[in-house]
Amino acid sequence: MKNDHKQNGVDRRTVLMSMGAGVTALAMPNFVYAQASDKVLRFGLSTFPPSVKPHDNTGQAANTVKLMMLRGLTGYDADGKLSGELAESWEMVDPQTYVFQLRDNAVFHNGNPVMAKDVVFSLNKITAEGSSAFLKSDLSSIASVTALADKTVEIKLSSPSAVLLDLLANFNANIIAEGSTDEEFVGAGPFKMKSQERGVFIELERFDDFYEAGKPMVAGVKFIAYGDENLRYAALEAGDVDLIEYLPWQNFDAVDASSTLKMSSAVGPFMFLLFNVTNPDSPLANPKVRQAIGYAVKRQDVVDAAFAGRGEPLLGFPNPPGSPFDLSDPSREWSYDPEKAKALLAEAGYPNGFDCTLLATSTYGMHQDTASVVAAYLQMIGINAKLDLPDWGSRVTAGKEGKYDIAVHGTAGYYNDPDSVYTLLHSDNPSYLQSFGFKSENIDGLLERGRQETDVKKRKAIYEELATAYFEEVPQVPLNWRQQAYAMANNVQGFNAYPGFLTFASPYVVDDTSVE
Amino acid sequence: MTAFLLRRSLAALVMLLVVGTIIFSLLIIVPGDPAELLLTTGGGTTTPEAVAALRETMGLDQPVLIQYLQFLGDTLRLNFGTSIIDGTEISQAIGLRLPRTLELIAAAAILALAIGIPSGTYAALRAGSAFDVITSGIMALLTSVPVFVVGTLFIYVFAQILKILPAGGYTALSDDPAAHFRALILPAVSVSLNLMAIVFRMTRASVLEMRSHDWVRTATAKGLRRKLVIRRHILRNAMGPVITVVGLQLGILLGSTVLVEFVYNWPGLSGLLVTAVEQRDYPTVRAIILTVAAIFIVINLAIDILYSVLDPRIRLK
Repeated sequence: MKNDHKQNGVDRRTVLMSMGAGVTALAMPNFVYAQASDKVLRFGLSTFPPSVKPHDNTGQAANTVKLMMLRGLTGYDADGKLSGELAESWEMVDPQTYVFQLRDNAVFHNGNPVMAKDVVFSLNKITAEGSSAFLKSDLSSIASVTALADKTVEIKLSSPSAVLLDLLANFNANIIAEGSTDEEFVGAGPFKMKSQERGVFIELERFDDFYEAGKPMVAGVKFIAYGDENLRYAALEAGDVDLIEYLPWQNFDAVDASSTLKMSSAVGPFMFLLFNVTNPDSPLANPKVRQAIGYAVKRQDVVDAAFAGRGEPLLGFPNPPGSPFDLSDPSREWSYDPEKAKALLAEAGYPNGFDCTLLATSTYGMHQDTASVVAAYLQMIGINAKLDLPDWGSRVTAGKEGKYDIAVHGTAGYYNDPDSVYTLLHSDNPSYLQSFGFKSENIDGLLERGRQETDVKKRKAIYEELATAYFEEVPQVPLNWRQQAYAMANNVQGFNAYPGFLTFASPYVVDDTSVE
Repeated sequence: MTAFLLRRSLAALVMLLVVGTIIFSLLIIVPGDPAELLLTTGGGTTTPEAVAALRETMGLDQPVLIQYLQFLGDTLRLNFGTSIIDGTEISQAIGLRLPRTLELIAAAAILALAIGIPSGTYAALRAGSAFDVITSGIMALLTSVPVFVVGTLFIYVFAQILKILPAGGYTALSDDPAAHFRALILPAVSVSLNLMAIVFRMTRASVLEMRSHDWVRTATAKGLRRKLVIRRHILRNAMGPVITVVGLQLGILLGSTVLVEFVYNWPGLSGLLVTAVEQRDYPTVRAIILTVAAIFIVINLAIDILYSVLDPRIRLK
């Protein structure tokens, strides 16, 4: 037998090989660790998070920080695909019952394993009476959360939900250790709090027991807030930070041309007009007038003037890029047609136009510039819109109290599904993000049906109908998609912006980001 | 002197009360609801119940008069309370931020005096010379260029093009002294330019006036050394108006640092004020304004006292 001697024992070569392998194996983790551990990612935020609470929405900056420290049951992988976070797997037992299996190695920052009871605690905290959680109404369809075993959780819904998994991936659906409070919470994210100074910086350090092996790949993240967009860009260019969010649109070309910087952008958030429709005598209460405004604005000019050409005209229902359905249909789109706009105005009884106010904010240049272009185009069909540009805080109040005729706004949904416009259109959630006083039972009903329908074909039909209703009833006039970009130094690897409405969830990618 | 101090202190308290009342009323009038703002930052949505619950936590559901009396009572006990946005102790935040703003102002003032006084004196002694004309021209320019223009220009040149200084930010002195002072350079120079120009002009005018006085001629005639004449007979007399102006300007600098701190991300008191205003964090805004007003009053008092030390003819009554 040729290999007889091997079976009896080890030969010299095997010993040497295994020794070599052993040495390499011993050396490797150290090597990898040294590579990964000494670099801190310095992240320039557009604003300092007013507060960081696991379930309250306190803005985009806070969401970014939360994604570093906290995780929910589901999330998104490096390509923006829905993936498990604390939940390893899940099963839809029936349209109203989901069973989640938690990861065995998921551990909180205090060292305790993530258990089913923590999930029960967290989700109940969100939906509790009087909670100020962002997802309270979205998750109100949760009838019960039960711990079936240490690592098994069952969620029962009062009505089916097509978007439960996306809702659970939201940065406000975090799982915290049982007994945590908003102020002192214990999460299971890839980083934990190291130090912070309000208004200046937040320093996070790597959580070594994070459940995804080898991640995160940096020793920590230091968030520094730069309220001024030009300074944020200057700080990146000067090398004070490695990565910035909200790259100002006027700097896109400079980054493109730069040999030391790069960017990752996605078409995601969109700009639109809102209307105060409460006063029946107001021209804007008439859908025909709102349709006329839809035809009156040449959207490419908004993109060019307010977003340095970085965006795309949006002519109809804001179905996010990456949506499972194609809802485009030229018959329900507002192409630029001033003659048709004038005809519609005349039909509505305003052949000579009218005077009104156009609310935007001076805090954000893009809002102000959008308003200027819109006002110029409204002028052309006889509508004299007087610009009102208070600071952001006053603008929010004016929007909430209906102290405007037309308002400019921009936002994004939270996932790439037409359902993500629910909070922007459903009359149960009146806010400054909606046309003041607008209420359509038809649109409300379609939104509810779309959310509860789990059959893909039937769902698509519902959203087709919604897109038509959007065009006819005009709850908003859409203007354009805008590109949203993160810019970074060339030595930052692995960070890329998610597509569409997911763009603000891009910080999930920090898990896979390294600084060389 | 004691009576003078007592009277001034009493006046200061009344002034603070007036300032506090004005700022309280202003904040009530300015639109914007901190609860709504906090819950919807970044374009999110919220529910009316959540806003109402948060308003209650913030104490904003109370009648305005009650809030005012509460504010007065707290202020009298030097209790500024906590921020309604994130619950941090306001006096702690001010204690952290104020020294940084003062450091900025001190660095700027030292720079302004160190350059403004010698160059102003030299220009006056050589009035009409090339140095005088050129320096006066530069200083006139510095007075008229707004600080945010200078700031943006500095960042562009020194941080973005030359990359020798950070674009902004702050490192604690204890963490890294070198980084601390590197980050201080641009903001301090930006704050100082305007003051420097003022100091230069005041010094120049004042020295010009002094050098034509009889006693200067007499001092020179009796053979006193020129250096001594300048130092003892011209400069000492010329410094009075300069100090008054610098004192007043220091107070104004406290206000003008708002822009500089914003442009350079210098985490001082003014930056905190800007954020607090944006977030409608009423108690923080009130506390900062009262602190700045108190400092302004104290500086003025200190200048009056310094004035009498420099010129014994002035008696504090």
